[in-house]
Amino acid sequence: MFFSQLKNELWKLAGKKRTYIGFGVFVAAQVAMLIMFKRSRWESDFERLLGGNGYLASEYISALTVGIIMIIPQLSLLLPLYVTLIGGDLVAKEAEDGTLRMILSRPISRMRLLAVKWLAGAIFTTALVIMLGIIAVAFARVVFPWKGLFVFFDQPGIRTFSLFQADEGLRLYALSQIFVTVNAVTMLSLALMFSCFNMKPATATILALSCLFASTVVEHIPFFERYQNWFITHHLASWIWIFQKPTPWPQIMQSEVILAAIIATAFLVGAIVFQMRDIKS
Amino acid sequence: MISLRDVHKRFRGRMAVEGLTLEVPRGEVFGLLGHNGAGKSTTIGMMLGQVWPTSGEVKLCGHDVTAHRARALRKVGAIFEAPAFYDYLSGWRNLQILSHYSAPTSDARISEVIEWVGLRGREHSNVKTYSHGMRARLAIAQALLPEPELLILDEPGSGLDPEGIAEMRQTIIRLHREIGLTILLSSHLLSEVEHLCSRIAVLNRGRKVFDGRIAEARLASDRVLLRTSDFNTAVELLRVRGIISESKEGQYIVLTDGRSIADATRALVECGVAVDGIWREEQTLEDFYLNLVKSKAA
Repeated sequence: MFFSQLKNELWKLAGKKRTYIGFGVFVAAQVAMLIMFKRSRWESDFERLLGGNGYLASEYISALTVGIIMIIPQLSLLLPLYVTLIGGDLVAKEAEDGTLRMILSRPISRMRLLAVKWLAGAIFTTALVIMLGIIAVAFARVVFPWKGLFVFFDQPGIRTFSLFQADEGLRLYALSQIFVTVNAVTMLSLALMFSCFNMKPATATILALSCLFASTVVEHIPFFERYQNWFITHHLASWIWIFQKPTPWPQIMQSEVILAAIIATAFLVGAIVFQMRDIKS
Repeated sequence: MISLRDVHKRFRGRMAVEGLTLEVPRGEVFGLLGHNGAGKSTTIGMMLGQVWPTSGEVKLCGHDVTAHRARALRKVGAIFEAPAFYDYLSGWRNLQILSHYSAPTSDARISEVIEWVGLRGREHSNVKTYSHGMRARLAIAQALLPEPELLILDEPGSGLDPEGIAEMRQTIIRLHREIGLTILLSSHLLSEVEHLCSRIAVLNRGRKVFDGRIAEARLASDRVLLRTSDFNTAVELLRVRGIISESKEGQYIVLTDGRSIADATRALVECGVAVDGIWREEQTLEDFYLNLVKSKAA
């Protein structure tokens, strides 16, 4: 029964056009970025950056390097938007449309319904992340050669300047997608939590995004640098630490545990609110 | 089949349902009447475990809805005003999705129900292409999937044209006769309730103000029709003896409290007034409902 219900939740998600907005925008954004890479002075600037540090740039202007450059802004800006859009819809849209009342006239517990919805959302989110990761490298490979990976990331608390051979780079790139998936599920869980309150789906999405944006803004205020561990966005950035040498595994695992706790807390709060709510037309 | 005992529901300080006690036995078609905001939908919501009662006990099929919701709703189907579906999916897929929240349902059962409601041939079209009437039929189909013993209908005729309302009425009659379902029907359409229900309860501002058979409601009028050769003399006689309080329209009398038609007939015969006929006026459900609500408001 659980798997039938999960399959049906996935059918519902798959049947909605807005589900595909994220996939479409990611494809369009990556094509646009690739065109920019070829048409702009990016390559010469990049050669100067690597050459200035004593590296042979031609070995690292590659599909993997371009792929990771392309996904960083998408993970920061587009992924939260599309994942919270789906998460905000999961309960609130059904309540708004009246289908939740149809479902809850049946002998399914609210807890189970929410668990099925969360799992369906997590599967969708995973598919979105995998697709984003694959097409970033696949599209870049059409234009750039298969060579080593160069990762350069400079933000307060996270400074990464690393070079890898192609095989090692691909392995780390694939591994990083697992942590990106955890990030996406965290965002989805936040939106789902708000979706369980008596509010419009757009409000749930906006509230979840507001939490993420507020965390980003406050995290970047110099005064708060020492409190970075308290900000969700600090932990959401942990996927990039995979590319540091040596890999700071304790720090990464600490962030993953914190994100897992946020997921569990968001689900629990959502479940309590959903359980206590009166569902009316 | 349905049992509510002293149920209260308060929404942010406003009492939506107050001290409601209701019994609907198996096999009955029961009507729930009341104006907008009277508490009908809240009551149905509490029966289905969608709205939590502030106090009191709600039982369906012998199980407490609050404590054992899954058991209570196992053999219950429900249809709401303006039934909502996943418009972007087919009717068949909607039925599959909704049925799996109850129990595993075979394709053969879905097909059987589609046949029963007359949606054969359109089951694989998207619901957004369905007319109001077809959506109503799909709503009946989803309610029938778990092979219910109890059907709860919340304003099922809302939004339907006269043909659709007639079709819905026929379907409810068939559901009762052919499948033997117990039906709770909440409706604004008093004529529909009058046609379909054997018993009704009337809610007014969250309180039950009537619970009884439709026949009782029809006879609940205080007016008695008196056919006699000399109406004015008869009225005078009855008034002097304290049997009636007033007369109306040259043919009706209103009995005083505690007096019966038998008392009036006996008095007239004893005084030598020939009585051609005397019987309590039968009123329509609409008259009954409006009088009841008016008297409670006063």
